[in-house]
Amino acid sequence: MFERFTQDARVVVVRSQEEARELGHEHIGTEHVVLAMLLHGQGTAAEALTACGVTVEDLRRRAVEGNRTERDPLDPDALASLGIDLDEVRRATDAAFGPGALDQAGARPKTFGHIPFTSSAKKSMELALREAVHRKHKEIRDGHLLLGVIREGQSLGPRMLADAGVDLGMLRDEVLRRMSEAA
Amino acid sequence: MSEGTGLAEAASGRDPAAGLRAVRAMRELTERLELLQVRNAREHGWSWQEIAVFLGVSKQAVHKKYARRDRR
Repeated sequence: MFERFTQDARVVVVRSQEEARELGHEHIGTEHVVLAMLLHGQGTAAEALTACGVTVEDLRRRAVEGNRTERDPLDPDALASLGIDLDEVRRATDAAFGPGALDQAGARPKTFGHIPFTSSAKKSMELALREAVHRKHKEIRDGHLLLGVIREGQSLGPRMLADAGVDLGMLRDEVLRRMSEAA
Repeated sequence: MSEGTGLAEAASGRDPAAGLRAVRAMRELTERLELLQVRNAREHGWSWQEIAVFLGVSKQAVHKKYARRDRR
């Protein structure tokens, strides 16, 4: 399937795995695909997302929130028994590295090698293929990938965009408009 | 760090449950601080070798653990 992807689309897929790994997540979800589009910064998907006012920082925060598990939380009581005041540590790291830095540092890469896609992410790519076929495009573009994410609609990628205030219908229109202009 | 009661009691005390829990908590905190400080060092222009020296590990170990993440 990937041989029919444009260069931009391939970069987005590769980047989405890097992003999932960087955030310490164990699957590549639609949220990582969306982040990868913004990080790549080029192409229809990136332009449409930027035009709708989303930022990497905000979406990353939402992706981290949405994937938060309680596997390795910090244990304030146990640390206090050692004389470590976790609040003080947090104050210091917040001041030095930004608010929430200590919590974001909890997401570390725990797996090396290939990270699998979620079934939602796979479904969004099947839907992307359908979008391309429907428009009689020979290649699957990053724009189609974003259309596929929007159409999948249930997973964290589209949900976090909606939570960030994006009207998914308008985003879809932005993508379609830019794709027809580029064609 | 504040001076709480029971300084270092838990991790070096005789109750294994409390002791292991304290060790685990410290390890998690250490891992997070290591990440923040490695990234901080890179932003200050430190090489992997310099970071490795300060952490007391090999350059390869630091690189393997952090190099892929450090793209921004």
